[in-house]
Amino acid sequence: MAQVKLFGYTNKISVKPGDTIDFHVNADGTTQAQAQLVRLIHGDEHPAGPGMIEEEIACEANGEWAVRKQYTQLGSFLEVADPDRKLALEGSLTICAFVYSSLPLAGLRQALVGRWHNQRNFGYCLGITQRGHLEFWVGQGDEVDYVQTEVALLPEMWYFVAASFDAKTGRATVHQESVANRYNSLLGRVSPIDYRSHVSEVFRFRQKHLPETPFLMAGSRDFHETRGEFVSQTFCGKLDRPMLYDRPLAWEELLKIAQGGAPSREGLVAFWDTSAGYTDRGIGDTVIDVGPHGLHAEGYNRPVRGQTGWNWSGRNDCFRLAPHEYGGIEFHYEVMISSNWDVTRSVTLPTTLKSGAYAMRLRAGTGKGLGEEYIVFFVRAAVPKAPIAFLFPTASYLAYANEHLSFDAQIIQPMTGQPPIITDIDIEMYKNKEFGLSTYDAWEDGNGVCYSSYHRPIVNMRPKHRISSMGITWQFPADLSIIAWLEHKGYDYEVLTDEDLHREGIEALKPYRCVISGTHPEYYSEEMLDATEDYIASGGRYIYMGGNGYYWNVAFRPDEPWIMEVRKLDSGMRAWNARPGEHYLATTGMKSGLWKNLGRPPQKMVGIGFIAEGFETSRPYRRMPDSYHRTVDWIMEGVEGEMIGESGLAYGGAAGIELDRYDLSHGTPPHTRILASSGGHSDNYLLSVEEILYPYPGLSGSQDYRIRGDMVFFNSPNDGGVFCGGSIAFGQALPADGFNNNVSKVLSNVVDAFIKPGSLPGGLWAHQEKQWR
Amino acid sequence: MANFWRNPLFGWGVDRAEDSQPTLPHRPPQEPWDETRQSKVEMFPVGRPRLYYKWPGHGGWTWNRKRYWPTRRRLLNIRGEYNPKTMRREKTIVDKRPLWWVMALSFMVIAPWLMPEDYQTTLLTAGATFAIYAAINLVWMLVIGTAGIYSLATYAVVGAAGFGTAWLSINLGVPWYVLPFIGSAIGLVFGLIIAIPATRLDGFYYALLTLGLNELCRVYALQSKIFGSSTGGLYGADTYISEHWDDATQSLVAYFACLTLMVLALVLFRFVNGKRIGRVLRMAPEKREAFAEATGVNFRQARIMVFVVSSIALGFIGGFYTAHYRGVSFSIFSFDTVLLGVAMLVIGGIGRAEGAVAGAAIVIFLDKALLSLGPIRLIIIGAIMLGVVLFLRGGLFGIKPQFRAWRDKKKSERRSTRAEKGGEMLPEEATETRDKDLIYWRRYDKMQRDYLKKLVSPEVIEEHRKSPLGQHSEALERLLLYFRRAPLSDKYAIIAVEPFKAYRIVALSGQRGVAPRIVEDRIYASQEEAYHGIFMRRVQDLLES
Repeated sequence: MAQVKLFGYTNKISVKPGDTIDFHVNADGTTQAQAQLVRLIHGDEHPAGPGMIEEEIACEANGEWAVRKQYTQLGSFLEVADPDRKLALEGSLTICAFVYSSLPLAGLRQALVGRWHNQRNFGYCLGITQRGHLEFWVGQGDEVDYVQTEVALLPEMWYFVAASFDAKTGRATVHQESVANRYNSLLGRVSPIDYRSHVSEVFRFRQKHLPETPFLMAGSRDFHETRGEFVSQTFCGKLDRPMLYDRPLAWEELLKIAQGGAPSREGLVAFWDTSAGYTDRGIGDTVIDVGPHGLHAEGYNRPVRGQTGWNWSGRNDCFRLAPHEYGGIEFHYEVMISSNWDVTRSVTLPTTLKSGAYAMRLRAGTGKGLGEEYIVFFVRAAVPKAPIAFLFPTASYLAYANEHLSFDAQIIQPMTGQPPIITDIDIEMYKNKEFGLSTYDAWEDGNGVCYSSYHRPIVNMRPKHRISSMGITWQFPADLSIIAWLEHKGYDYEVLTDEDLHREGIEALKPYRCVISGTHPEYYSEEMLDATEDYIASGGRYIYMGGNGYYWNVAFRPDEPWIMEVRKLDSGMRAWNARPGEHYLATTGMKSGLWKNLGRPPQKMVGIGFIAEGFETSRPYRRMPDSYHRTVDWIMEGVEGEMIGESGLAYGGAAGIELDRYDLSHGTPPHTRILASSGGHSDNYLLSVEEILYPYPGLSGSQDYRIRGDMVFFNSPNDGGVFCGGSIAFGQALPADGFNNNVSKVLSNVVDAFIKPGSLPGGLWAHQEKQWR
Repeated sequence: MANFWRNPLFGWGVDRAEDSQPTLPHRPPQEPWDETRQSKVEMFPVGRPRLYYKWPGHGGWTWNRKRYWPTRRRLLNIRGEYNPKTMRREKTIVDKRPLWWVMALSFMVIAPWLMPEDYQTTLLTAGATFAIYAAINLVWMLVIGTAGIYSLATYAVVGAAGFGTAWLSINLGVPWYVLPFIGSAIGLVFGLIIAIPATRLDGFYYALLTLGLNELCRVYALQSKIFGSSTGGLYGADTYISEHWDDATQSLVAYFACLTLMVLALVLFRFVNGKRIGRVLRMAPEKREAFAEATGVNFRQARIMVFVVSSIALGFIGGFYTAHYRGVSFSIFSFDTVLLGVAMLVIGGIGRAEGAVAGAAIVIFLDKALLSLGPIRLIIIGAIMLGVVLFLRGGLFGIKPQFRAWRDKKKSERRSTRAEKGGEMLPEEATETRDKDLIYWRRYDKMQRDYLKKLVSPEVIEEHRKSPLGQHSEALERLLLYFRRAPLSDKYAIIAVEPFKAYRIVALSGQRGVAPRIVEDRIYASQEEAYHGIFMRRVQDLLES
């Protein structure tokens, strides 16, 4: 029997009690799974902590579920709805487009533009062969005829490509001509390369069509007996302004198009102007056909829009400034944004659910390892009542969703200073491209992944998961340590997600007196950042538990909140670098990258911001002299000695992994106090790159004083206040020693004060100092 | 005196940080760079001049490619490419065989006018004989090469058709142009009969059976009055060669008729071997039939199909044979005919059309054109055959790939004597490396390892065992940084068999989507032990390199 494997996801990540939520499950080796709704309380199995804690909840959906194998479409492409079959040209035709192939020698056939059925060999198509040559082919079912260019396309170069077919004479011609300029391509003018090729042959027959084949760009229709219809021969690279004519165009006419001239309308069937329809606020998935029939194309798996086009001149850096230079649509043959599986079960949640992190626990086979799946979702309060809200940083979960760092990133071992510790689940995710990639990975052509969605199984958004490259819990399972602490302390709390914050803004936070962040809220949209800033400014009390927060500018579409976009560029600790001219979010038109580089360093909002990261050891904090001032010493009430956080589930200390620092030059509120700071970090801790102008020896933990975590506090307007833990490991230090530790003590002091109505303690001690000692 | 390294974090009270660590005396990392001033082996110049012209690409011109009507095959399989040394566009004819065929066939067409007057008749007769044998060989090649059936009954089929048509022509006055078609019918019947055992027997046993059949035919014809036991064969059949023509014309017509027959056989060979059925059979070579069958290849049916088609073609040739020679003699069944045929196939190379034709040319030339040499020529044929069997794996036309394989073998032998494992690249390796950055990386890596090997000491190992993570002495830190930066393929990692209880060491694939492989069975009880296990393996790999 095949190995039993279960994976699934939900349609919504944030729900309220009584809501209906859809579960999409894929099963290998079994047709049944045992389902149990559980509330997740702790998810770190580290022996120094309380271990896995979950509470089984009664639910109508508990019990046996019928599950089955589901298939996932890989690759991004454009599909044209063509009910009148205007594109099913039976006679003469011309296809032309601008193409930038990023992996011509992928060893797989890649379709560019055409109406082609791959299994039954009907239709016509322009594509790239396994050996990287441009090829035009037509099929009549039993036979295929083709003509290809003389020389392979070179990677990362812009070409004008065309195929014209004269049905009368049977003559088919393919053309390729370089349109590289000084800016848009990999190689410059000094490389002695002749890119041109024009090849002509006489075909033996004319193409025939199947009625139902769709017209696709960057892919072609295929069929498999168990899977049904799908798209194969997907493409890796950029396409710009494809056109279709129902007459053969001579090269002289094509050359005019290649030189940027307006295409002739005579015989024009479709002209997908990839640069049309851009708005100041972003670009959708519809590619507009400005031809006579208006046959717009729809993107699948989020082709990346607004990329530099064939005519990018280098002068403009954004599609908003010069849309016509940004007609590039980027495709990847193994991209997977949304699984789009069938619903396995629609579940109506009990109305009595307490707000928290929940999961549908599925078990089959051994019920362990691959035979156990937690499909995680978050239940917020139907009507907020509690004083405390814990904000799950789901945007950051998306950024790291199914990261492949241990397997694909050569730099990860030197970075984390340790060999990775992987599990069977990690290997399954790595073997199977259907899990998709995270924004820490690159597509096969080396370009960074800018979209991530939760409409797919996310193996690292589940309890018990440990990030393999670092050997600790990360993001969701780490954040559960804070939930466990809130439970242990008996606080009345409710939970929210980044999605709620993004969609509802400050309204989501307003009902709560105190909001607690996750351990690593790194990815923030403008809406989320604005709401948090407004909340703090309007008297909200905010606890920033983690490290390296409020770092990347990301975007969501209002109608598709499950997909996040980020572009990593120029500076910051980043897994990849966006290509020149591709620094703006296609989703919103805003520049991506670090919030710091957009004028909003995290210090400006919460007092501290990212300074360093390191992975093999954590350190404790030691009280700073300012913490003895009576304005803030209530935070340290009951703390014995000066050391805080000498144990923890993340490398045995409360200050570690990623550290944040107080910095007036980045906008830390001037009255902020440093309560405690860590020190003695090893040389694996290195200054973050956005802080480095020139690298010089000694920018590491044991030699640079800036490398430290700062625990800070400041009062904000309208009786508000902000407390920051100063590092990612802070939250994971809470469960150490049975929650009986200094970190827990400090945090309770803060939470107790924050949830009390009225002004915060210490406010009276603000007079000018007149010291005798 | 022992040297000590002081931990800068000791003052911070870091867990397990010891004030000082015993360590080896400092060595500058530049040491290997200073010591290495030249390569250990001689760097020979590499590079070859191009002694023939290579066509550039078509550039802006349209290249009108022609095809063999009515197929989609282009006249020549030409590969356009960039010369990696100059980036010049070049064209390479991937398969030059069509050119050789055109040249060879053209030569055969104009050959009669190039022959010396005195020998013209002899040579034209030899040429006609060659063409007939080549045609027979081509069809036989389909049976042996394509279908993989070791049939030696080829001449039996030709002979049967020959005798059948001769008898019909002599006794019933059937005209010459019908004979090949009647021959085809006889061939079909004969082919079907000998195809039956082919479904059950193979290899040696089938060869024996067919040889027996051949002998049976000979003995039968020899003793049969109908088939002219007294005259040594049947003669007097109708022929396409008119006796009113002069001798030269007769020879010329006979020569071209036979040449046409050979061309027809070539076409047949191309359409059977080069099409779907040929590909199906190539998927089921000898001794791998079971595998092919398991993957859904119906090779039995394809074999029988080829066999029957070949038999029809051989019958056709038999009919033509009669019409050409005005009859047929018993010698067609004789053992030496079969052996000469086998010699032609073996010398040319089994499985190739050019092998069948060239083999026939060589053997016929020796046998018929050098008649004056006497019986020694048969010994020469035998010697050539022996040489081919002893030294060549694919006949004369297998020399090129065989030579290349041999050269590659020699190349790797020579390189292995010169190159150091993991050491710097040799000039000959460098030319084969696309990304020249790798050449430097190899040098740098070698220097690194030469230096780091000297840092390995019991103190360093002990230091790592005590504390695999955290601040380390300079020597250990340098070793670890090097290990961690290694390329991903075969880089060690740990797999959690049971978290916090059991770990194992694996090696990453470095290839997307390929799972890591287990490198040892040992189970480590904690993460730290596994970290140290990896460190020890890495140290060992370093010292062994």
